[in-house]
Amino acid sequence: MINTYGNKDDFPIFNKRVNGKRIIYLDSTATTQKPRQVLDAIIGYYEGSNANVHRSVYKLADEATEVYERSRKNIGDFIGSRENEIVFTRNTTESLNLLSYTVGESLKKGDRILITSMEHHSNILPWMRLEERGVILDYVGLDEMGHLDLEDLKSKLKRETRIVSVAHQSNVLGTINPIEEIGKIAKDNGSIFIVDAAQSVPHMPFRIREEYDFVAFSGHKMLGPMGIGVLYGKYNLLEEMPPFNRGGEMIKDVDFHNAIFEDPPIKFEAGTPNVEGAVGLSAAVDYLKNIGMEEVRRHERYLTSITLKSLDGMKNVKYYGPRDPDERGGVIAFNVKDTTNLKKDLEGRNIKVDRLYHSHDIATFLDDRNVYVRSGHHCAEPLMRTLNITGTARASFYVYNGDDDVEAFISSLSEI
Amino acid sequence: MYSDEVMDRYQNPVKNSKMEDYDIKIDEASTTCGDKIILYIKTDGERIKDMTWQGEGCILSIVSTDLFCENSVGKEINGIKEQDDLSFIESFPVKISPGRINCVMLPLRAFRRGTRQPGRE
Repeated sequence: MINTYGNKDDFPIFNKRVNGKRIIYLDSTATTQKPRQVLDAIIGYYEGSNANVHRSVYKLADEATEVYERSRKNIGDFIGSRENEIVFTRNTTESLNLLSYTVGESLKKGDRILITSMEHHSNILPWMRLEERGVILDYVGLDEMGHLDLEDLKSKLKRETRIVSVAHQSNVLGTINPIEEIGKIAKDNGSIFIVDAAQSVPHMPFRIREEYDFVAFSGHKMLGPMGIGVLYGKYNLLEEMPPFNRGGEMIKDVDFHNAIFEDPPIKFEAGTPNVEGAVGLSAAVDYLKNIGMEEVRRHERYLTSITLKSLDGMKNVKYYGPRDPDERGGVIAFNVKDTTNLKKDLEGRNIKVDRLYHSHDIATFLDDRNVYVRSGHHCAEPLMRTLNITGTARASFYVYNGDDDVEAFISSLSEI
Repeated sequence: MYSDEVMDRYQNPVKNSKMEDYDIKIDEASTTCGDKIILYIKTDGERIKDMTWQGEGCILSIVSTDLFCENSVGKEINGIKEQDDLSFIESFPVKISPGRINCVMLPLRAFRRGTRQPGRE
């Protein structure tokens, strides 16, 4: 067990100084920093076990294959799945595209797909492409606090709804959606239920349930390296699906015109896979298991709660999503009102105009103080349209953030 | 937020108005940032007689647009278009990080696109 939170000692990047001062990294929703343990595992793999996997018969190749498959098992255990239900991809986006190009291909004109207005583009665009063939894409709406409207969900769930795909946690509002309940509703309707878990598997206890047909998440958002992602799929569904990419590794037998494909999950891993990524992600899982996912969630809930409390006291700051930290993760999208802005009225008098600073200006202001937040639309433009804004600034937390980061953030923000 | 010079111009822009008798009107929008700027240009065909703007954007794009309108009056269209990006960015009153270059470049890019003559470039 790692005894203190906000402990940056394991993360070499926090030794970095910009303009002589430490960095306050508040963009873990975009990507997380990497602990020494993950970096060591990647170097250790190349120094000790590197060979191509699932191909050759010599000892080093066996060892590389074993390391790769052991990583798969460790990641599967982490979410409560069997290892042959874990497909390695590049990231959540590729996991969802894999589903669009396999499961999605079986949809016909008039079939429907139900997603929500708070999805990341990665859970919108793979489904939007199917509209070209007459598939209808429906969006579940939100209430004014940023919760999913479950009555709207039920009313939009039709007999023709073949797929329901929902983010477990919004990457903007932070809203944690009741996916167990939504999964039951989707399965009662006979729909395939997909969970975009990019923002939940890294941040809270997560176990595969019977209702979940597919679950997608990314390694780099949970202390692992970039370029490795996961698609969990129920084995019988993976078996029925056609391959996504085709080529090396994913075949049992090939003649001039026919091929017999490997069993899942290898069927979906054409070409030399990202072995260092799998090894790094497995080390990240070990790091998180060592803390305990209940503790990760508790810690982020605490940081979110003290931050929201401070923001509540700042009259010029508006934040989005649920007010209750139990209902949201450690991501806070916000805007700052520009109380200085003047415009000339018709008589030529200066009048104050109530408007928001552009989120890029907020981020640049904080950047000057070494506080790193994201700004813009967060790859969720339909949500921005729903909220009737062009963007927000966004601060997000992870295991290495502590009270010191929250204090630096709040005191910098209060200088605007 | 930025230097006094930038904030003063943001709060008191000098060319932020609609022009009724314009010769060229350029709509520019950056969908990723939500910036929406309209440039109104009065010209004798070669030189800029006047230029104004309306719209919404971040502080850097608004200040850059307002400065651009003011500085362009009396100048040749081709000369404005041909100035290089780096010198344009360096002439901006505050130092810009690479992530914000598009904000400052907004008016010049809009101007180049909107004054392109058919069949050329």
